[in-house]
Amino acid sequence: MKTLTTLILSGLLLSTPASAGVLEDKNCGSCHRLKAEETEKGFTGPDLHYAGNKFQPEWLKHFLNNPEVIRPAGFVTDPGFLPKTDLPPHISSSKEDANALAQELMDLKISAPTPVTSEPLSKGLRARIKYQFERTFGCISCHQSLNLAGKIRGGISGPSLVNAGNRLQADWVADWLKAPETYTAKRRMPRYKMEPDTLDQFTRFLMTLKKENIK
Amino acid sequence: MIINRKFLLTRIILLTTLVTACGQSEQATPAAKPPTQQEVAEVTQQTPQPKPVQVTEDTRQTYQWYCSQCHGIKGKGDGINAKLLTVPPRNHTKAAYLETRTDEQLFEAIKFGGLSVGRAPCMPAWEHTLEEDAIHSLVRYIRELCDCEAL
Ligand code: HEC
Ligand code: HEC
Ligand code: HEC
Repeated sequence: MKTLTTLILSGLLLSTPASAGVLEDKNCGSCHRLKAEETEKGFTGPDLHYAGNKFQPEWLKHFLNNPEVIRPAGFVTDPGFLPKTDLPPHISSSKEDANALAQELMDLKISAPTPVTSEPLSKGLRARIKYQFERTFGCISCHQSLNLAGKIRGGISGPSLVNAGNRLQADWVADWLKAPETYTAKRRMPRYKMEPDTLDQFTRFLMTLKKENIK
Repeated sequence: MIINRKFLLTRIILLTTLVTACGQSEQATPAAKPPTQQEVAEVTQQTPQPKPVQVTEDTRQTYQWYCSQCHGIKGKGDGINAKLLTVPPRNHTKAAYLETRTDEQLFEAIKFGGLSVGRAPCMPAWEHTLEEDAIHSLVRYIRELCDCEAL
């Protein structure tokens, strides 16, 4: 039975012309973890085996064609958190390739986070969460975000959140804040135990951060 | 204890007037606000009693992994976020300051964050990340870094 399935499967694989896919063709796996089975250590770029849970497809297409810096200190793997110097820009793909890559990335999923609302916050609530983002929880110590004047500020040990609302899926953001271990065994971000309401509001707050709002 | 709490509260109120947030401050930062209920509640939490613990390889690794992002690999307050914070991360090798802080205060700062001991909120709370034992050993490690004890 097993051999039969293998035969059928390999037959299927052989019949698809473009080998295993664009991600493989372009060797993206040399820096990125693309499969959950691969071990977490040793990659020089962020994990992408849950890209379909994490990113918005439009952002992916744009990024792959026109890369921007998300981690100003580089993707730091050094245990002592030594920032990387002279970071090479990310390879950029043609529009066509970028679309194909994005499509394959959107198929990489490891979880099914509970759907949440990403409805914008009222002005008052937004001010309150912003205050908590900066003070109560100190998120801004490690993440760039936008101040009231639309200027970028904040620490750089975590990925920039300046464009989180265009880049990340709301469901994933909520899941990351609730159960980060689903995605990364060992993190550098402190763990928070937010009340469900706070978690919901933080997610919606992060989704309001968009680079169009930079002044 | 009552005096102590009052003192802490004054520190917090003082602090809020000086510091609005942790990102590099801008001219346009919003006006300072009094501490929220939650922040005040945190201050009045029970003080856990530290017990004698050892500094192990684990302690050093924990420090490097989490704390060095701000405090630097050698604890000198020069991690990669340091220059971007309104209040600089404390230099853990400076005895002159750390002598003035008790082990309990250091423990609370790590567990509940800077605000809980009248310090800046840029110092995050590690209560849901690190076990109490790990925090006690980090306090010992900081005592090693400053080569000092509370006076
Ligand atoms: C030389 C190593 C290297 C190669 C090859 C590489 N990347 Fe990357 N990639 C990185 C690094 C490093 C980052 C982090 C950049 C940043 O945060 O600013 C990154 C970031 C990304 C991101 C954003 C992820 C996130 O969490 O922010 C995506 C998506 C991505 N790469 C896709 C690809 C694709 C698709 C390919 C193949 C065409 C590829 N990469 C090839 C190193 C690489
Ligand atoms: C001590 C530094 C630190 C603090 C404080 C911090 N983070 Fe993070 N954050 C990180 C790091 C580092 C990462 C990358 C994953 C990791 O290693 O944990 C991250 C990842 C994230 C991500 C995923 C971003 C991505 O593109 O992969 C989100 C969303 C996030 N943090 C939100 C928050 C929020 C909201 C707060 C406050 C409640 C916060 N962070 C506080 C360091 C921090
Ligand atoms: C996001 C940046 C950041 C990270 C990560 C961080 N700290 Fe801090 N820490 C600070 C800042 C900023 C201060 C200074 C606060 C002040 O003086 O008001 C501080 C102050 C302290 C103090 C002194 C408190 C006092 O009584 O004055 C101790 C102790 C401390 N940190 C320990 C740690 C330990 C241990 C870790 C790792 C588990 C850690 N910190 C991680 C930013 C950080």
